[in-house]
Parts: sequence; structure tokens; C-alpha cells
Amino acid sequence: MSETDESRITTNEAPAATPPKATARKAAPGKRAVKKAAPKKTAAKKAASKKTASKKAPRKAATRKPAAKPASVLIVGAGFAGLGMAIRLKKAGIDDFVILERGDDVGGTWRDNTYPGAACDIPSNLYSFSFAPNPNWSHSYSGGAEILDYIHYLVSAFGLREHIRFQHNVTALDFDARRGLWTAELEGREPLRARAAVMAQGPLSNARFPDIDGVEDYQGKKIHSARWDHDYDFTGKRVAVIGTGASAVQIIPELVEKVRSLKVFQRTPAWVIPRPDFRTPDWNKTLFRALPASQRAVREALYWTHETMAMAVIWNSPLTRLAERLARRHLRRQVTDDWMRRQLTPDFRIGCKRVLVSNDYYPALRKDNTQLITWPIAKFSENGIRTADGVEHELDCVVFATGFDVPKSGTPFPVRGRAGRELGEEWARGAQAYKSINVAGYPNLFFLFGPNSGPGHNSALVYMEAQLDYALRGVHRLLDDNLKLLDVKPTVQARHNKQLQKRLARTNWNSGCKSWYLTEDGFNATMFPGFATQYRAQMATFEDGDYDSEPR
Amino acid sequence: MASIDLEKMLAKVKASQWALADIDWDAPGAELVTEEQWPKLKAFMADLMWIEHVGARGFAAMARKAPNDTLKEIYTYFHAEEQRHANAEMALMKRWGMLDGDRVPEPNKNLRLVIQWLDRYSDDMPLEVLGSVIPMLEIALDGALCTFLLDTVDDPVCHQAFARINDDESRHLGVGFHVLEMQGHGDLYMKVLKTLGTILDPRLILGIASYAPLLNRMRDNVIAMGLGEERLYAAMKKFERIGGRTADGRRNPWYQIISRHGRIVVNRRQRFYHGPVDAMVRLTDLIPDRVMPSRVPTWVKGITYKPVV
Ligand SMILES: Cc1cc2nc3c(=O)[nH]c(=O)nc-3n(C[C@H](O)[C@H](O)[C@H](O)COP(=O)(O)OP(=O)(O)OC[C@H]3O[C@@H](n4cnc5c(N)ncnc54)[C@H](O)[C@@H]3O)c2cc1C
Ligand SMILES: [Fe+2]
Ligand SMILES: [Fe+2]
Repeated sequence: MSETDESRITTNEAPAATPPKATARKAAPGKRAVKKAAPKKTAAKKAASKKTASKKAPRKAATRKPAAKPASVLIVGAGFAGLGMAIRLKKAGIDDFVILERGDDVGGTWRDNTYPGAACDIPSNLYSFSFAPNPNWSHSYSGGAEILDYIHYLVSAFGLREHIRFQHNVTALDFDARRGLWTAELEGREPLRARAAVMAQGPLSNARFPDIDGVEDYQGKKIHSARWDHDYDFTGKRVAVIGTGASAVQIIPELVEKVRSLKVFQRTPAWVIPRPDFRTPDWNKTLFRALPASQRAVREALYWTHETMAMAVIWNSPLTRLAERLARRHLRRQVTDDWMRRQLTPDFRIGCKRVLVSNDYYPALRKDNTQLITWPIAKFSENGIRTADGVEHELDCVVFATGFDVPKSGTPFPVRGRAGRELGEEWARGAQAYKSINVAGYPNLFFLFGPNSGPGHNSALVYMEAQLDYALRGVHRLLDDNLKLLDVKPTVQARHNKQLQKRLARTNWNSGCKSWYLTEDGFNATMFPGFATQYRAQMATFEDGDYDSEPR
Repeated sequence: MASIDLEKMLAKVKASQWALADIDWDAPGAELVTEEQWPKLKAFMADLMWIEHVGARGFAAMARKAPNDTLKEIYTYFHAEEQRHANAEMALMKRWGMLDGDRVPEPNKNLRLVIQWLDRYSDDMPLEVLGSVIPMLEIALDGALCTFLLDTVDDPVCHQAFARINDDESRHLGVGFHVLEMQGHGDLYMKVLKTLGTILDPRLILGIASYAPLLNRMRDNVIAMGLGEERLYAAMKKFERIGGRTADGRRNPWYQIISRHGRIVVNRRQRFYHGPVDAMVRLTDLIPDRVMPSRVPTWVKGITYKPVV
């Protein structure tokens, strides 16, 4: 812990640019709408680039010849993780790195998820980098547009843009053990090489469509929450939302105001707890600006509040019951009808799946133009959805709030390590790593949000910062000692995982409910079984003895 | 032998989904319902529709209790399928001009009591009780009544609909008996204790008090339609026969109780049973509306005859 604190102090110099003033933007919806156009274009281009990337006129970034000399570090992805890595490298004086980003803007999650109501469900003061505080958050929980602004601010404040290669879709990573170099294969472009590679492609970056019969027959409009179509006018439309997870509970209250009818198709209800959301008063922003220590104190307080939540969410404890009671009371207060309440009450322990935070989801379901449908979906027809009660629901538009393909086994693209090893094959029955960040046989490679790094109760960015520090140390070791390769010892990795799975067995996630945290066989390769503080402690030490190394 | 592979069953259920829109409800043949049949058929259909709906609620409760995810999902589908049967039967009523506008026909008083009971208590009943009562209801009231209908009504659309309904029912029964057998496993002593425990539960007694008259009322309905009551009884014996074909199934104490009850229902000479129960049927008819449970649970309002909404 002390390790991380120390690094926070050293990196906490004020960045050059000023943090974004988001209040004004929030108040001007027109501007927000303009902003939204960009990500949509991204999605469309992304789809198009699948087939025609090679034909497209090369963009500015691409006209640069691939560096003859390999870079020190290549980073896959320009979301919070990739940019955070870049900032830490830059601050450490390592300047020859590239960020490969398949889209044409930064922001990842927050570039893609621009659906109405998109917001974080961890307070903004905690869902931001400690080394780049923003005193201007307009709400305790900020909207997606404001978060995206913050990310743009990071890019300009730390001068990252020149490092980013947009429309560079990584299709494979190959390790050349002789030279100690990683090669990133790129779609329709020359490959790129570097001594170290950082996978920051995001745990939730590939939209998932559910496997339902006849989706291709459906003739109406289809929109995925992570590829919102801002040109589609919902006014007066008959709309369905499939899914009742984190995105759905944010979309539904917004859509219900516009559409003629909203049908919400639920398979499993989730636990929903109230959200203490409020606007940040002006004096508060002034205070944060004048006295950054006050904001650090608030962040610290938020951090510990969330840490206590781990007690309820991760393990089955008296706090679990308490949290369930809180959620039940929330439901009872907001939904009066017995049957509807029954349909909205989960039959698994709180924490087994992601806990949702919302004040306006239940009220939205009670609106006259909303209907909660719990019948299983039988299939899509040309005009809508047929449910197992034999009824066809005629629809103008279907919104898929069905989440993401999370690779719990396998990798998003082929990763080939030493001696022809292929990581996807090794991970077929569930992913494994050392401290979530390195994998034996794949030297000089760092995973951000790798196996068992998932937070169930605290800000992803808290976990991310711990990973960034660790990866930075690995890179330092590699460059400073001029190593060809730095590879975690298989025995060390095996021991780590044995302990990990033992601890996981005692958590709520492994208590017998199905969730996207688990593989088909019930193997948990996603979550970290402990407090964020424990995770930070795990990442705070970099033991040279854990690694095999070879000089160049 | 009898055990089925639940995973395969679930896949089959998913692959066998049908919708009201698959049937042409305006096809010719509606006139085949005779004038003489019409009023009795109307009463019969209204009851049948409600029984399906009540069965649906039973499956909803079972889904909560299912010991594994596969069975849970199967029950979730069955819940919806019973609702589909109710919807299809309402569509037939609509076709035959038996609906008062768009309104769902009123359930009879016995049914209203059963609905009330299901709404209040079914989620609290152990799977042992529900898992035995539901197959019985399915066979006696649902499956059997459907076949009667086909004997009396010549309308081809009715036959079309019931071909599909019966197809679903065969899967419901398959799973029903599988679960009966599953529950026969394990420590008999524990089972008996648990059974006794629930029998003494006043909530269950209430349930029995509404279930028994319902059976007798349906018997009267069947007779009113000019069918032999033996058919109903034959169906109930099927429960005893199939449910009791393996030792595990026979060992299930709930199977014992319910099949014995079935035997009593069938035997008209059991005056000790039929006297009071028939009286209860007549009595429930006499309960003035204002003292009947007035709050209608919302799950009851989900029925529709419309193929597309
Ligand atoms: C709707 C939503 C709300 C969320 N809210 C919260 C919250 O409140 N609190 C919280 O802690 N977490 C939240 N999360 C989790 C969130 O994903 C993380 O907090 C964080 O944003 C992840 O950042 P990242 O950089 O790792 O991934 P991303 O932001 O997904 O960025 C990955 C980037 O990599 C790029 N990429 C992917 N594959 C390739 C490839 N092959 N080649 C090149 N580039 C590639 C993508 O285009 C993307 O730009 C939320 C997630 C979603 C989807
Ligand atoms: Fe049925
Ligand atoms: Fe049935």
C-alpha cells in the first residue's frame, strides 16, 4: 500500500492543461448530441473496416512509416487503461511507445457506450485517476459524456495524441524469443514491433448479441447499447429492451419518456440498490480547486466506503443480508404490485452477479407505457418478438442491452508466446495469469484487466492504477537492465493460482449461480477474491525472483 | 428406465415453441359447434382456460424451487406454455363468439379460491407438494379435459390448437413424472417427516379445501357436456399408473397421498368424501360475491386471445 501511495505523490504534479469544466456541457443538451455523433461513426467505421480497411485511404497516423527501430512499448487500446499506461510511461521518461487503437477516437468504454443515461455507477471522484484529479465533476456520479471529456482532457494534458495510431486493429501478437520482440499484426497494415507489449483492449469492449432464433429475420430497427444510433428517433415508437443489466437500468428510464410503448424483456432480475446521486454544489468545486487535499480526502473516504461493500458483495456475511434487506426495501418502496415485485426479486445471493445502482429504474417499469415481460423469448419474427406464452410483440425497434463478450477462456485475438505456444489454447478451459498481469511463456507482455483482476465492489480505476504501477516496474526492469526477456516462472504462477482458486471458492460468485464471471464449467477467471486493498498490496511488490530473465 | 435427460428435454422444449399466430383463427369450421353445445362449451372452456392459467402459476412457483438450473429453466418455459394454452383457449372462445367483448371470462368461485390460494401460498410450498399436485392437475384437469373436447367438437381449428397443446402436455407430464421419481430418492424417513410437516400446515389445508371441490366441479362440468365421467377417472388412474411405475416414484409420499385421493375422487360410493365436497361445490356457489376475495392478483390479467399485441 505504501508503495502505491508513494508513487501517487511523485506523480501528482499538476498537468499542463486544466481539467474539463463539465457543468456547462451537461446543461447544454444540444452540444451533447453533437458530441455523440463521433462514436457512432466509429462503430460504423469499425464495422466497415472489417471488410474494406485495406481499400481505405490511409489516415494521418498511418502515413507514418512503421518505425524501423522497434518501440520500447506497444499498447493495444486507447481506453482508460491504455492511456493510463501511456501517462505512467511518459512520466517515467519512457517516450518511445505507441498506442494501437482500432477505433478513431480515444475513450473505449465511454466512446462506445453513449446510450441515453450512460453514467458510471462508482462516484466520479473514485472513478478517475488519482494522478489526474478533476475538481469539476458536475454530479457525484457523472454521465458518460463528462467522463469522455475527462479522457480527452487526459490525452491533451499529457500530450498523448502523437503516440496514438487510430484505425490500427490488432489481429495477433507474436513473440520472437530470439530477438526478444513482440510483433503486433495489424489489419490491412504493416506489422509493428516493440520490446514490451501491453494488452489494454478492455474487458468489455466487444458487444454481445444474444443467441435467439430468427434475429436475422427481424426487419425492424436493431440497436446495441454499446453502439447507439443517435440518429434514430424514438418518439412515438414501440420499443423493446432486451436485458436488465447495468446498461438496461440506465437506458430504460430515459427511453420511457420518449417512446409510445416500452417492453422490457427480463430473463433474470438483478439486485438493485438506491443510488445517492446529487449535483455537486459550486462551493464544493471551488473547495476542490483551491484545496486539492480536500478532494483527496473525499476520494479516500469513498474508497473505504466501497471497501466495506466488499464484505457484503464478495463473501457471505451478515452484511450480505443487510445489503439484501436494503435492496428489498428499495424494491418494496418503489413497486407496489405483489406480482411485479416477485418478478423483480432475484433468487440468488446479492453479489453473485453485478449489483445494480439505480433510483429511477423501478419507477420507469411502473409507467403506463412500460411493460415488464418475463416470459422466455421463443424467437424473433419479421415484425417483432414471440414469447413462449404464444404472443407476438410487434415492435419498431429492439434495443439490445445484452452486454459484452467477455473472454473468460481464450483471448480476443491470437497471442503466440515462446516455442510456438498459443495462449488461446492454454486458456481454453479458463484463463490464468500471475497477479492478473503476466503469463508464463509469454515474456514482456502485460495484461491490464487480465484474469482475476475484476472488481466487484470498487472502482475499476483503483485496480487499474495498481496494475499500471506494476507494469511500469516490469518495463523498467526490462529496459534498465537491458533484458531480452522477462518471463514469470511457471511454478510461481501455479502457486498463485492455487491460492486464488481456494479463496474464490469461498466467495458469493462461486456460490452456485450462473453469471458472466464464470466459464461454462463454473471456473472463475474474472474476479479478484478480496478487497481492493488486498489487490493493491498484491500488485505493490515486484519480486525479481518470481521471474526468469535473459539479457539481450 | 423412466428417467429422462433434462438437458435434452430443455432443448426439445425450446425447439418446440409455437405461437398463436401459427394458427388461422378465422379459418372456416367455427359453425361446427352446435347450438346445443354452445352454452355448455362456453362454461367448460372458461373453466378450462382458467385451469391452464392456474397451472401456469403452479409452474412459476416450481421454478423458484427447482433443485438445478436446467429444471428451473424448464419450469420457466412450462409456466409460459400453460399461459399459452390459456391464451389459445381464449382465442377459441373468441372464435366461437363466447367472449363478452375483449373481456377475460370470470373464473368460477372454486377457481377464484384456488387462484387466491396459489397467489398467497404457492411460493411457500415445498417442491415435494407442488411437484406432485401439478402433474395430477395436469393429467386430470388439463390433459384429460382437452381430449374430451376433441371428442365433442368438430371444429378443425380446435383440433389444430389442441394438437399443439397436447404435444406440450406430453412434455409436461414427462418432466412431472421424472421429478416425482427424483423425489422418491433419498431417505424415506425424512420424506415422511417432511410430508407430515406440510400436511399439518394450515396453508396446505386451505389449498386442499379449494382443490378438492375443483375436481368435483369439473366432473360435473364434464357430465353436463354429455360425456361419461369415467373418462375423467381413467385419466386420473393414468397418474397412478405412470407415476407408480418405478419404485422411486411409488416411494414418493406425495404420490401416495395424491393417488389415494384420486382413487377416492373416482369412487362415487365414497360418500364420506363426496358428500361434503359436493356440498362445498354448492356452497362456494352460494358465497355472495362481496365476501369473495376481491383483490385480483395481476398475474391473472396477463391472458390475451390476441396473437399479436
Ligand atoms: C456501460 C459501462 C459502464 C461502466 N461503468 C463503470 C463504473 O461505473 N465503474 C467502474 O469501475 N467500471 C465501469 N465500467 C467498466 C469499464 O469498462 C472500465 O471501468 C474501464 O473503462 C475499462 O477501460 P479499458 O481501457 O480497460 O477498456 P476500454 O475502455 O474498453 O478500452 C479498450 C480500447 O481498446 C480498443 N481495442 C479493443 N480491441 C482492440 C484491438 N484488437 N486492436 C486495437 N484496439 C483494440 C477498443 O476500441 C477500446 O478503445 C463500465 C463499463 C461499461 C461498458
Ligand atoms: Fe396446459
Ligand atoms: Fe401442462
